[in-house]
Amino acid sequence: MKSAPTLSSAFLQPAGEFLPGPLLELRKQRGTALVDMPLPTRKTENWKYSSRHLKLSDELAASLPSSGKEGSSLALPGYRVIFRNGVMVPEASDFPDMNGIRIQRFCDLDDQEAAALAERLDNTLDSHAVQMARLNSARFEDGLLIQLDKEAVLDQPLFIVHEVTASSAGSAYPRIYVDAARHSQMTLVEEYISSGNEPVLVNTVTEFVLAEGAQVTDVRLTLEGENVQHIGATGVRQAATSRFESHCVGFGGPLRRHDLQVRLEGEGAECKLNGVVVTQGKQHYDNHTSIEHVAAHCDSEETYRNIAADESHAIFNGRIHIHQDAQKSNANMSNKNLLLSTGAEIDTKPELEIYADDVKCAHGATIGQLDKTSLFYLVSRGIGRREANTLLTMAFINELVEQVPVEAVRDAVQLRLNDFFNQAFQEI
Amino acid sequence: MATTDKEVSELVKREYEHGFVTDIESDTFEPGLNEEIIARLSGIKNEPEWMLEWRLKAYRRWLEMEEPDWAHVGYPKIDYNSISYYSAPKRPEDMPQSLDEVDPELLRTYEKLGIPLHEREKLAGVAVDAVFDSVSVATTFKEPLAKAGVIFCSISEAIQDYPELVKKYLGSVVPAGDNFFAGLNSAVFSDGTFVYVPKGVRCPMELSTYFRINAANTGQFERTLIIAEDSSYVSYLEGCTAPMRDENQLHAAVVELVALDDAQIKYSTVQNWYPGDENGKGGIFNFVTKRGAAIGKNSKISWTQVETGSAVTWKYPSCVLRGENSVGEFYSVALTNNYQQADTGTKMIHLGKNTSSTIISKGISAGKSSNAYRGLVKFGPGAEGARNFTQCDSLLIGDRCGAHTFPYIESKNKSAIVEHEATTSKVSDEQMFLCRQRGIDPEQAVSMIVNGFCKEVFKELPMEFAVEAGKLLEVSLEGSVG
Repeated sequence: MKSAPTLSSAFLQPAGEFLPGPLLELRKQRGTALVDMPLPTRKTENWKYSSRHLKLSDELAASLPSSGKEGSSLALPGYRVIFRNGVMVPEASDFPDMNGIRIQRFCDLDDQEAAALAERLDNTLDSHAVQMARLNSARFEDGLLIQLDKEAVLDQPLFIVHEVTASSAGSAYPRIYVDAARHSQMTLVEEYISSGNEPVLVNTVTEFVLAEGAQVTDVRLTLEGENVQHIGATGVRQAATSRFESHCVGFGGPLRRHDLQVRLEGEGAECKLNGVVVTQGKQHYDNHTSIEHVAAHCDSEETYRNIAADESHAIFNGRIHIHQDAQKSNANMSNKNLLLSTGAEIDTKPELEIYADDVKCAHGATIGQLDKTSLFYLVSRGIGRREANTLLTMAFINELVEQVPVEAVRDAVQLRLNDFFNQAFQEI
Repeated sequence: MATTDKEVSELVKREYEHGFVTDIESDTFEPGLNEEIIARLSGIKNEPEWMLEWRLKAYRRWLEMEEPDWAHVGYPKIDYNSISYYSAPKRPEDMPQSLDEVDPELLRTYEKLGIPLHEREKLAGVAVDAVFDSVSVATTFKEPLAKAGVIFCSISEAIQDYPELVKKYLGSVVPAGDNFFAGLNSAVFSDGTFVYVPKGVRCPMELSTYFRINAANTGQFERTLIIAEDSSYVSYLEGCTAPMRDENQLHAAVVELVALDDAQIKYSTVQNWYPGDENGKGGIFNFVTKRGAAIGKNSKISWTQVETGSAVTWKYPSCVLRGENSVGEFYSVALTNNYQQADTGTKMIHLGKNTSSTIISKGISAGKSSNAYRGLVKFGPGAEGARNFTQCDSLLIGDRCGAHTFPYIESKNKSAIVEHEATTSKVSDEQMFLCRQRGIDPEQAVSMIVNGFCKEVFKELPMEFAVEAGKLLEVSLEGSVG
């Protein structure tokens, strides 16, 4: 049997020596563990549909330089932190100056803080399932540590813009760690953008730890270009009565992969995961989510919608795992898909794994196309075909777009969607 | 659902007593698998050269394959060289001579299932009066079948008598390299059933393995091939509701169905093999590959299964819908109790235009068992206007069991529509209260609720079977309430 390809050693030479000692040490450790790591193949269950799109050529191993010109981004109404190629740009950032809220870049941590962080990094992610996240741990050059004290409330959303400047081939490894103490609240917006045209890999990890009663909303917007392979992982651990909301809106690329893992570890915790994916051309988007109901009386609600046009490929894999002691769990998952063209492909796998009996779990998945009668209804009332198609397609995801709690993001999404509709329904 | 009924607690402790007898007879092969063994096996069966070649080719493929480990089941590693791959059918004098020699527990189960007396003998492995057997079978079944032109025989006979048909279709649906267990089966299959329904013939009766002499001794590597020619219809019934005596722990069967234009095949299975004791010791491993190819236009393949036995089940009856307007159906009830593990489901592969499929799967887990539905619904680029509806429901009885759903849905055609839904629930306290308030004891109440849960599938079974299946669930669930 042919042996599986392994991760090139070129990827295990991290740059950025400005990190404090304990984090450098952690990086080294993680790097050692990745030596000869087999790369996912078609036989790797959670990379079944995407492995052939993952192209880790040696030229991508180089770290992108942390300087370069700033690209375009959202109009930012509130607090913002700009990361360029995985390293924070302090002069472009605007931190909130509030009691009880500490935002620090990894490079600025003292040894004691860094040691405490090194201890906790990666603890939210199941290493087995998201092996690629370990590459981030071996390579990150900077990062953002956000700590909310007890009952601290961030009054406006915090925007974190991750920009890659692809004037040369290489990779970037942005990293965020959020620690929300009891009853604290915040909304975070992660925006991923790119400039330049050289092939680039973005490998990003965001972690959230929510203490009792904490409320965190994470909005994630993936808008990078056609030259960017994006592999992201988000890990969440929730204590009792905490609430986590995630809104992921993604537009396709050569490879987009996001793993979202939530563990409900305290009674009464709840999470809501929304996702919208839009792909066209030859784009590829793969969302993997996992919700672990570890404690009793937790609720989870998950809604993902994919739209695939042209020859693109969209994948959803949602897993709900109810542990033996998680009685009275309530879990709902819905995944609906719109296939706009016969060259396109949609694969979905909503999984349930249930070990407790007193639970309410349901999932539903559909793949289909726009309803002909609805189209006819609109057209018969004088609405043009293209507009009717746009209206109905928009209606398919609007419910989720509207729920994004940040107006600036909704506007940005709408703009991108308009472009998409113009192209997708051009010939109608 | 707490109950202190003494009876119930006794039931909980009750064991499935009838054990397994392993008589090493002189004409059993020594354990081990190699090309020589296969040649000997083929020689004993007096098979033609091409068949031996086919087996050897399969064996060489199999050597390169790996045992699948993706299923949600766990079992000790099987040593394929410690298995004997041929055992001659038992001689009548070695079998129990009358029902008096049979384990009374087994008999009580037959009683509960309402199995007719003469069938009980056969099921319990009693040496059945040869006269009774051949006469009844020949007169009642063979004649009308022959008149209709239906071929219904063992696959070994078919290899001798109808080599052209076998050559053409054997391995055409499940090729030897399909998967590990199918490969093993292709190399060493012991016997099985062959059915051929000619053009335009509606098979005059439900075919069942039990109508065939010696069917019970087909061994652990069963091979079934059913071919339905244009515009024909056949309904085939496999297994039975009564617990089967069986000496082999590993079962790796392959079933292939071929439906040509306008043909219809209905395949029903009731499987109640020994599931192991209440501590999960022993029991059959059932690793089966079943697949139907709906090649013809307007053809239809329908799988119905009621699975209550086996310690480990690994089984995915599938349909490849190639013909235009072809239809695939899958109705399943899988019940697991104690330490049983089941990973079962279906694959619906839509290739032709306007193909449609329906999947109704009901999983019931009790005790400490684990029950998984794993399904694939796939639309190829040519599956214009194809349609699938999937519903898989799980019912949990007890808080130490598991119910899982792993549906894969893949679509490459924009005009194809698929809908999938799954729910998980338990027998609610309200339902139980309602029943008990009306004087129905808890055991019966649960069985009633479970029967209601499975109704959609039972109605697909041939009538006599549906009644038995209901009772079977009742028996299988005994001891799980309380």
